[in-house]
Amino acid sequence: MKGFEQGNDWLKFWSENQKSLFQTWVEGKPPPFAFRGEAPPAGDAMKQAAQMSDLIRSSMEQWAAFAKDAWSPAGRIDMESMKKLFDPDERKRAGSHFDMGLERLTEGPAYATLWDLDRKMLSVQKLWMERAQDVEQYWELMQGAWGRALERFMKSVNDPKGEPIKTGRQMLDLWLATANKSLVEMHRSGAFLEAQRKMTRSSTEYRLAEREIAEAFCEMHHIPTRTEMDEMQRVMTELRREIRALKKKDPAPGGASEVAPARAASPRKRKSPSKKKK
Amino acid sequence: MRVKVDPQEAAREFTEFSRRMQAGRELLEKTKDRDVQIATTPKREVWRQDKTVLYHYTPSAKQTVKTPVLVVYGLVGRYTMADLQEDRSLVRNLLAQGVDLYVVDWGTPTRSDRWLTLEDYIDGYIDECVDFIRAKHGIDKVSLLGICEGGVFTTCYAARQSAKVKSLTLTITPIDFHAGSKDAPLHHGLIGLWARSMSHADVDRLIEANGNLPGELMSFVFSMMTPVNALTKYNLGLFDVMDDEKKLLNFLRMEKWLADRPDHPGEAAKQWLKDLYQDNQLVKGEFKLGGRKVDLRKITMPVLNVFAEEDHIIPPRSSQALKPLIGTKDYTELPLPGGHVGVFVSGKSQGILGKNIYGWLKAHS
Repeated sequence: MKGFEQGNDWLKFWSENQKSLFQTWVEGKPPPFAFRGEAPPAGDAMKQAAQMSDLIRSSMEQWAAFAKDAWSPAGRIDMESMKKLFDPDERKRAGSHFDMGLERLTEGPAYATLWDLDRKMLSVQKLWMERAQDVEQYWELMQGAWGRALERFMKSVNDPKGEPIKTGRQMLDLWLATANKSLVEMHRSGAFLEAQRKMTRSSTEYRLAEREIAEAFCEMHHIPTRTEMDEMQRVMTELRREIRALKKKDPAPGGASEVAPARAASPRKRKSPSKKKK
Repeated sequence: MRVKVDPQEAAREFTEFSRRMQAGRELLEKTKDRDVQIATTPKREVWRQDKTVLYHYTPSAKQTVKTPVLVVYGLVGRYTMADLQEDRSLVRNLLAQGVDLYVVDWGTPTRSDRWLTLEDYIDGYIDECVDFIRAKHGIDKVSLLGICEGGVFTTCYAARQSAKVKSLTLTITPIDFHAGSKDAPLHHGLIGLWARSMSHADVDRLIEANGNLPGELMSFVFSMMTPVNALTKYNLGLFDVMDDEKKLLNFLRMEKWLADRPDHPGEAAKQWLKDLYQDNQLVKGEFKLGGRKVDLRKITMPVLNVFAEEDHIIPPRSSQALKPLIGTKDYTELPLPGGHVGVFVSGKSQGILGKNIYGWLKAHS
């Protein structure tokens, strides 16, 4: 639970920070950090701040209107909209109000790092929904295959021309063989392969978007990020590769590189570079 | 209605069910992890680099094959399959007949290994292992025995370093990744269908998100080929063997091997899935390692190609595609009954596999 609490504190801190920064810009106040070097002429700065303030205010109004419109056509939270919002069936359908709302919010105007984390969180939410839809479609196909298996099994059991089923095990074996055939047929179908591909891809995209948020948290708390670790490992791998190539060009005395000397028998024929020179 | 259950037969079946459950429960209770050991043939570590370890098996008979053999398994699974248990071990079979054996173990790749490429494995680690064996024995050439993906590694290595390879033995190795047969059972070749259902971008993003190709994902894809078996093996499958100690231990050893599926290093997995499974570059002569094409015509040493007639993972035609592509006429095919793993571990194939590989190695050493 401690992790969640820390996360909440951090979100609160981030949100407050963003809000106060935005507020200072909107109100045309000087930024909460000192300029280095010579300050710009006061008149120009005030004019620029006012222009910036107008621009941001108007786009925020537009953004809010977009969100209102997308979440509730009437511009208010009504029961029908709320029902749609929490109805899992709604999430399966592309282009619902909820989806469109999220899409408009995530594709809204971007101001450098302002609201960046909020945008990332909305993006994760959108990807989570896409993933849920794809998982749902995948399971629908699976259920279809089980349904077909049952249909075939019942047909087979009722086939008067079939061999008599005398034991429970024979019955079970017939069911399993029928189910296996139906499932393998489904696994080979284009519809299943596409559903599986989409599910894997949307899960992957969700995981990558989730990583972006985790990395923002890491950066805030001076923790190395996954991307930084990956980059470091890439450099390590490249360096090892170079060392291996260098050792091949100029083998060290003792033969093959990094031999476990205590256990390995010493190579007999390999010559050391010094011997070669002689 | 076909169901015609005889009440007496049903009662007998129920009694037998109860007896087996009781016997099985007792057997399972006394079976400990130490009873389920795999890869027990004695060996010692002779070389190590990064996570790759080269082992030398302790000889169990007088050496009868002059050239040492290096066994190379792939990154999808572990080399322990060739030495599953004492009476089902290609390794023990070959050692008993006087073959000097080495095996390379790739270790357990983690996220830190995501940048390793097929070049690192083929031109790097395998070449280092071969050089070590050559230096240790004072010889110019080593024989290679590749298994599955390891067969692709050794094929590429033999094409690039033919001067260092005495002979090439391939087992259950894919060469033409798109080959299959219209008459094959439905579950054959599903891995290829799965790999080709993804785009290049899907593969790239999958690796970006996970770092490596997760072993669990590959296990899931394998289970799609035999879905009901995957669903019932720990109830019905276990029930069928639970009152017979030998069968139960065989079952548990196999499960131990199956469960030990390491992640496939990310960059190498991209090459494996995109260049080979999707684009089928090896058979087209377009597959590149380190910017150089792998020219299979440079395989001039003797080749033994072993494949399984019922292989649902690597269809026989995929392995057989090698013959017209290589530069040697000393090419032998050995079709064996059984499936992909069955060739190595089934009781039926035990004598045949080891005996035939030994005979061929002896004739080509």
